[in-house]
Amino acid sequence: MKKVGVVRFLGTNCDRDIWQACEAKGYSPEWLWYEDGFDVSSYEAVIIPGGFSYGDYLRCGAMAAKSPVMKSVVEFAGAGKPVLGICNGFQILCEVGLLPGALVKNTSGMFVDKWTELKTENPCQFWGKSVANSRLPIAHGEGRYHIEPEQLEKIKSSGQVWLTYKDNPNGSVADIAGVLNENKNVAGLMPHPERAMFDWMGGDDGFSFF
Amino acid sequence: MSLEENLKKYRISEKEYGLICDQLSREPKGIEWALYSALWSEHCSYKSSKYHLKKLFSKSERVLQSFGENAGVIDLGQGERVAFKMESHNHPSFIEPYEGAATGVGGILRDIFTMGARPVALANYLCFGEPDAERMPTLVKGVVSGISGYGNCVGVPNISGQTEFHSSYNGNILVNAFALGLFRPGEKVFTSQAEGEGNLVVYVGAKTGRDGVHGASMASESFDDDNEAKKPNVQIGDPFFEKLLIESCIEVMEKGLVVAIQDMGAAGLTSSSFEMSSNGGVGFDISLDKVPLRDSRMTPEEILLSESQERMLLICEPKNLQAIKDVFSRWNLDATSIGTVTKEKRIRLSWNNEELCNIDPDNLVDNAPMYGPEDRPFNEWFPTHRVGSRDKLLTDVNNFELMLIKCLTDVRGCNRNWIFDQYDQRVGAQTISDCSNDVGVIRLPDSERALSVVLGCRPYVMRLDSAEGGKDSIAYPSVELASLGFEPLAVTDCLNFGNPEKKELMTEFVASVQGMSKQCEALKAPIISGNVSLYNETIEKNVTSTPSTGVVGLRDSVYGPSNKVKNENEVVLMLSMEQLKMSGQFAEISKQPMKACGEINANATASFIKDLRTFVLDNKVSTSKVVGKFGLAYTLARMCMNGVGMTIDTTNSSELLASTTEKYFAESLYQVVVCLPEGDYKKMNTENYSNLEIVKLGTTGGSKLKIDSNINMDVAKIIESYNSWGEHFETLA
Repeated sequence: MKKVGVVRFLGTNCDRDIWQACEAKGYSPEWLWYEDGFDVSSYEAVIIPGGFSYGDYLRCGAMAAKSPVMKSVVEFAGAGKPVLGICNGFQILCEVGLLPGALVKNTSGMFVDKWTELKTENPCQFWGKSVANSRLPIAHGEGRYHIEPEQLEKIKSSGQVWLTYKDNPNGSVADIAGVLNENKNVAGLMPHPERAMFDWMGGDDGFSFF
Repeated sequence: MSLEENLKKYRISEKEYGLICDQLSREPKGIEWALYSALWSEHCSYKSSKYHLKKLFSKSERVLQSFGENAGVIDLGQGERVAFKMESHNHPSFIEPYEGAATGVGGILRDIFTMGARPVALANYLCFGEPDAERMPTLVKGVVSGISGYGNCVGVPNISGQTEFHSSYNGNILVNAFALGLFRPGEKVFTSQAEGEGNLVVYVGAKTGRDGVHGASMASESFDDDNEAKKPNVQIGDPFFEKLLIESCIEVMEKGLVVAIQDMGAAGLTSSSFEMSSNGGVGFDISLDKVPLRDSRMTPEEILLSESQERMLLICEPKNLQAIKDVFSRWNLDATSIGTVTKEKRIRLSWNNEELCNIDPDNLVDNAPMYGPEDRPFNEWFPTHRVGSRDKLLTDVNNFELMLIKCLTDVRGCNRNWIFDQYDQRVGAQTISDCSNDVGVIRLPDSERALSVVLGCRPYVMRLDSAEGGKDSIAYPSVELASLGFEPLAVTDCLNFGNPEKKELMTEFVASVQGMSKQCEALKAPIISGNVSLYNETIEKNVTSTPSTGVVGLRDSVYGPSNKVKNENEVVLMLSMEQLKMSGQFAEISKQPMKACGEINANATASFIKDLRTFVLDNKVSTSKVVGKFGLAYTLARMCMNGVGMTIDTTNSSELLASTTEKYFAESLYQVVVCLPEGDYKKMNTENYSNLEIVKLGTTGGSKLKIDSNINMDVAKIIESYNSWGEHFETLA
């Protein structure tokens, strides 16, 4: 069974949801505590769930990015292994420099929870590889993807734009909902695939993402 | 200080002062004044309401914990149990909307996890004034972002809500928060009953600051012109801290390190320590100088009365203290022993080894005053706003489409997604139905059944008649549950009323509470927890008496009907049992008088609810919606929100409602519209549902809502009209 490390910070709140998604896929999830490093050879993938790590103090993801577990995550990513960051996890991956750009306050200034339609611009070999279009829920106050124009051109041309919104809910640059690193093994997205695993949740497109 | 000054400062009446002197056989002294002030306040003692609350229907074989604990607990079978409760934070939210609403959410969550249950659902019942009333947009914005800011961060989904608008709330809004927690199979229910001589009294969570000192007694007073001066009484919350507290408390409870636990809510350390000691029949020796402080200059009195948030008190065996400290430290929190449990039922409070008080906790808790009919007089209830059965309820209108648009665009009828979209409704990954539907539903992860939460109380029905409004506060949400196949199991309530010292107000209180209890008994759905908020008045003007409720239901399957039409070419039926007809919410928006005829029979309504649920489970009902505010036309319009229309013929429906205007816009309790496939309609055996009157209304399909020859509207136009929040709150859209 695929062993997946699930990172927990103080304030992470989608941790058990990711656990449930991993179990539904038949993976074997294990907790990775923010204060501890881990052996990169022990896991086949690492997921950083959403939530409010450190209560979003200072800037969302900023404190978490400095924690011991992230040193191991950087090493894990450096070894070419798959890392997925969802929502706050995406913010943390940007803060730590594994992904380009940053996530800032929604244009509306408000938290927004709704279902969104997504288009896969460049498939990610590890997560949702065969998904062309999907419907997933978002829930964030700071999910507006920001990147400088020349950087945007660069990630576009190198196929790092993973997912885009069909109806931009937060003011993200170029409707971007998810991005990949240059090596395409680190992925981050604002929508929550773990909240769309089964039809009773209102949609099951998220199932293919794990 | 003179006696008069003390009575004023501590908000103690002369009569109560006499009772205190009798209890102590002397005058109160020193810190005792503050203790009596807090624990004998209306907010902590329920002195005006307890006499009536004791009579509430509160028992069933499912009830594991009821009043007296932090939250009620019911058994769902299969090892699953839930704790739930609803609480008001009206006064703080009016003064400081963001913090008031946020700490309301924080407080109700602590009531849940202190029982050992992990919080899995939130819901909010909000009553605001008219959109153009002073400060109203600011209050709406502050309250909603306070709930959103706190609930989203702690990671508990908001799955249901009700929002009302009326001028009676212009000077006193209502903010009632509901929370529900789940015990999975094998998880233990904890209580606040302290026990074990020599055990330690341990303080955990945030340090104590000056915020919220005298908050409980503030909540027990009416508003006046000087609300600004009350700002320092409002507590400040920190949801990140609360999240850590949830995880750490659940961990120490799971590890079996805790004997008893209680959160520090209203009147902070005072109420938690006195209640734990009184409930457990033991004493406490507490050194107030050991309480962790934010400001070392705080006095013992301030420490006792502080309502700083995110704090808990727990009892443990001395050998487990280190293990508890280790768990809390892992979550970056402190746990400090501040005292011991003693055999004799006395509370001894000391400050640097000097004894400040030595008192029987029962004096302040169990033996607090209780005001019966002599002290809080009330009259027998007589039905109000009644007309004869042949009298017209509504004057005829000539443009039905225009009136329907008026209902959809009115602030009382328009879409509230501006509010709901700010709440995380799916964290926890168990949400089946969110705030955009009439009932919030989550999945129970072990049994894979569906658990529902719906809020009740329609203030316009309360304005019509308190007794009927009380019954309706239970019956209407229960009809909503049954219409989706849920069995209503138990209820929590939040009784928001004005000044109980006024006879007419107390009369409304008694009538509505009796009505609620009667309906609960008929449904065998007990009231297991709740809260009373009195003195909701500003400068002599009372709010509408508003007994809000939260009703919890259970269904075996995670699949059930939706509130919006999904399929074309289905049969539309009306299932009804008409008892009370009224001019309803439409009368209020069209400036017509309130009129009603008949009454709700609690037992008949319970039979209707039972048959309704059976009907929904027996037949393949795809869509169902209770006919509520604004009557049938508005209800049908709301069912079209998915874009699928209907063709309706009301010729055979509702003999009680005679004119076309009444058929479309008056309200008849209770009616439910359901849709099901033609084939199932033909197979249906109506004899199995003797308490339902079943009438065919029409069919689903097309892109228009057609009602008789009077309404023929594009569904797109209906949806556009419904999305009119921005017209009322320009600054918020």
